[in-house]
Amino acid sequence: MARRSNHKAKQYLTGYLFVSPWLIGFLAFTVWPFFQSIYLSFTRYNIVSPAKWVGTANYRMLLTQDELFWKSAWVTIKFAIISVPLAIVVGIALALLLNINVKGITVFRTIFYLPSIVPTVATSVLFIWILNPNIGLVNRVLEIFGIKGPAWLNTSPWAFYSLVMMSLWGVGGSMIIYLAGLKDIPVHLYEAATIDGANAIRKMRHITLPMMTPVIFFNLVMGIIGSFQYFTQAFVIAPNGGPQDSTYFYSLYLYNRAWKYLDMGYASAMAWMLFLIVIVLTGLVFRTQKKWVHYGG
Amino acid sequence: MAAKEMREPMKLKFWLIWIAAIVITVVVFASGHSTPRKYPERKLVRFWHRWQGDWEKQVQKICDAFNESQDKYEVVAVSVPGSGADAKFILGVIGGDPPDLMSMGSGAVPNMAANGFLTPLETLMTPVEKTEFFKQSYPAIRDIGTYKGSCYGVTIGADLMALYVNVKQLRDAGLDPDKFPKTIEELEDWGLKLNKYDSKGNLTRLGLLFSDVGYLSHNFGGGFNVKDDGKLELDTPQNLRALEEIVNYRKKIGFENVLRFQAGLNDIEGAASWAFMHGDLSITYDGQWRVEELRKFKPDLEYRVYPIPPPKVGGTPLGGLVGGNYMIVPISAKQKQGAWEFLKFWTGLDNPDRAATFYNMGGWLPYSPSVAHSPTFQKWLKHDSQFQAFLDILASPNCKAPPPIANLQFLNDLITRAEDQATRGASTPKEALQELESKYREESNKRKALGYEQ
Repeated sequence: MARRSNHKAKQYLTGYLFVSPWLIGFLAFTVWPFFQSIYLSFTRYNIVSPAKWVGTANYRMLLTQDELFWKSAWVTIKFAIISVPLAIVVGIALALLLNINVKGITVFRTIFYLPSIVPTVATSVLFIWILNPNIGLVNRVLEIFGIKGPAWLNTSPWAFYSLVMMSLWGVGGSMIIYLAGLKDIPVHLYEAATIDGANAIRKMRHITLPMMTPVIFFNLVMGIIGSFQYFTQAFVIAPNGGPQDSTYFYSLYLYNRAWKYLDMGYASAMAWMLFLIVIVLTGLVFRTQKKWVHYGG
Repeated sequence: MAAKEMREPMKLKFWLIWIAAIVITVVVFASGHSTPRKYPERKLVRFWHRWQGDWEKQVQKICDAFNESQDKYEVVAVSVPGSGADAKFILGVIGGDPPDLMSMGSGAVPNMAANGFLTPLETLMTPVEKTEFFKQSYPAIRDIGTYKGSCYGVTIGADLMALYVNVKQLRDAGLDPDKFPKTIEELEDWGLKLNKYDSKGNLTRLGLLFSDVGYLSHNFGGGFNVKDDGKLELDTPQNLRALEEIVNYRKKIGFENVLRFQAGLNDIEGAASWAFMHGDLSITYDGQWRVEELRKFKPDLEYRVYPIPPPKVGGTPLGGLVGGNYMIVPISAKQKQGAWEFLKFWTGLDNPDRAATFYNMGGWLPYSPSVAHSPTFQKWLKHDSQFQAFLDILASPNCKAPPPIANLQFLNDLITRAEDQATRGASTPKEALQELESKYREESNKRKALGYEQ
């Protein structure tokens, strides 16, 4: 018996040894900074000097005196409200199209997936050109139809909606998940529906969409988290917040507070506020899942 | 049996490949530094800078000249481009592996100094060098690197702005480029005359455009200042006039029109694609580095450079605001003395005439009149005579440094935001400046409450 438990302990040890490089990295670079930032959010801290305790001052000022905090939070919330549902609709629509069995469908799937693996900085630079008011592709195409396109990235509110449009560029990632979800729907459900005389719209409404809800739920949660952390594109295109602060996203403001103004304590407080917002929203989405997410097939 | 014998060498080969791969990985990633050294026996001075393209080549030439001039130090230059440079520097300092010397944007110097990232350079200077530096430097250049009485940054690339004028386009429009307007109001008229439009009413050539209220305010006798006693000079009548000038002039051309035109310009600094070179801009407001670029990339373009003229009433001639690249030594640098020797070599503190060559290579403004008046600099000036306009501004008492305050970056962002709001018509110039001042006051109070340096 003792030999057996000894063997089991050895097995555990071997297992932990194998995962230890990741575990050490996770503890040192994620868990420790995570908890450390709670402490730092109650301090005045510039990285080089020791942190000085200031109590709840950072939070107080953030909530009562910082207009940009509210402004950037609103820009981010607005972005989440528009871009997340849009990405779900476009993602599902693309997945449905790419689920059709036609010749060369794998090539189309690859083409639609490819943009999502292009580095974000490269994509942003590309969009700066595509959305150029004079020589950009979008306005050139609009010109053919006699439409004078706006100065997309240089005027408000177009700059914000340009970023929303840009966010769809990476929809290939979620599209693949939707496609996997579609493949997972049992064929017999459609067969039964056909026998019952259901048309394509009814099949979509009563089989496809309900069966896809776990995948939609997953992408909704990831989309909310992702949109609240939206940073790189905004940083590359307009590091100071764009025309009339219309693209001053929360994470961009947080970054500027931390690295430009060396206000790490304040930035930590901002990070924790963001964490709380994301937790609350994710919690709300989780609470609603019983009403609309259907598991099992 | 035979199969087993065959497998043995295969197995050996497999292990040998693995061992070789591990050894190569360790050698590549664990070696002290990946930059090749020409003088490995010397003390290493690591220099981070932000120049790229042709400028990077010039910087390398200066490093090579220093390395050949003595046998104690070797300067190894690394280009750390763009917006992430300051963050990389901060991480270098806290990670205990900073460069020994870095060229930093002037706006960041006071904040870095206030937060204890930088070495006061007087601590590296001999008493004679200290006296010479403070006595010789142009006042604006000395002031911009100074924070609370200590010198934290010495420039080798100060920037000033002036007006570049396309001679041919002016003559074609019936204007005499050698009788340049003496007031901003006259200049406005010239600018409007020089605009060109296509049949749809789109701008095809921009005569002139005013921007950068932080700079222009100095031509109106103002400037965005925070005094030592905390008194704010932000929402002042002079600054208001400067902002109104920018807004009103832009209104005359049409904001959307200007925006579209500017967005279509392929205007990369340091390259031969500057819109002025290609005739898209008739009179444009730009920095001194363009003189050297024009010499290199468009030597046959006839142009003039003039300081921005003051307004008819209440202006200041030769007004300007200095900015640019500042050499700093991190507080935790390992080779501070070597960094200082290189800095001295480049700035010309010990030999102005030798250093003049370096300033000329990049089209940089010298740190002191002793360099500007040196035979080498004067000889270069004969060929690049348009550079004189910048030297005139630099020597003027109306050429100022930004206020040496810890939250200068925040103030600069507020100024940019105020100009953005006003030029887009989202607020009037007065409202924009009022908001700027109240935002700055709020931030200052916040910093005071949290115990930050002011």
